[in-house]
Amino acid sequence: MYLSLTHLQAALLFAFFASIVLGVIGRNSDKERIRYGLGVFGYFIAAIFGLGWLMYLGHG
Amino acid sequence: MRQEKHTIPPIQQWAAPVLLGWLLPGAGHFYLKRWNHGILLLFAIAGMFGFGLLMRGRMFEPQTGDLFTTVVHWGGYIADIANGSLYFVASWLGYHQDQLAHAVADYGTKFLVCAGLLNILAIVDVYEIAVGEKP
Repeated sequence: MYLSLTHLQAALLFAFFASIVLGVIGRNSDKERIRYGLGVFGYFIAAIFGLGWLMYLGHG
Repeated sequence: MRQEKHTIPPIQQWAAPVLLGWLLPGAGHFYLKRWNHGILLLFAIAGMFGFGLLMRGRMFEPQTGDLFTTVVHWGGYIADIANGSLYFVASWLGYHQDQLAHAVADYGTKFLVCAGLLNILAIVDVYEIAVGEKP
């Protein structure tokens, strides 16, 4: 079995799993954890699309 | 100036959860009865490791050479080992991947390494909970 993902799919999957771990260990109350996890996921998404566009535009 | 003295907490206090957390992601949290956190950590770390395998990521092996080669290979090897039983079971079942020129396999290699690094963070978290530094 071989999974062939696009760069975007792999990056989103990575962001999803990493956000869960960082959310669980990053704060001390459940409410803060959820907020922090969602925030980290949002920053991942922003970085993925931001850097993607930067590379696209920088490439000419 | 007064210096605070830091002492290492007794090993009996943290050794079992830390060891369990290394052997199986989230198990240290289970030991400390943090069931929800343990399940989430197991799901996320094992999930990332599993996708790394499905993408045919490569496991690092210790290798020496120039500084860059040594750091990358030893660092990758330590991060892979940090996956605990996930790594050992995959190796025991014969998972081996030669270096491929596929972008997806390269992502898979990063997934395997990052799963180990995330497990190190989870182990640090379980240590802090066990010694009472974290509620």
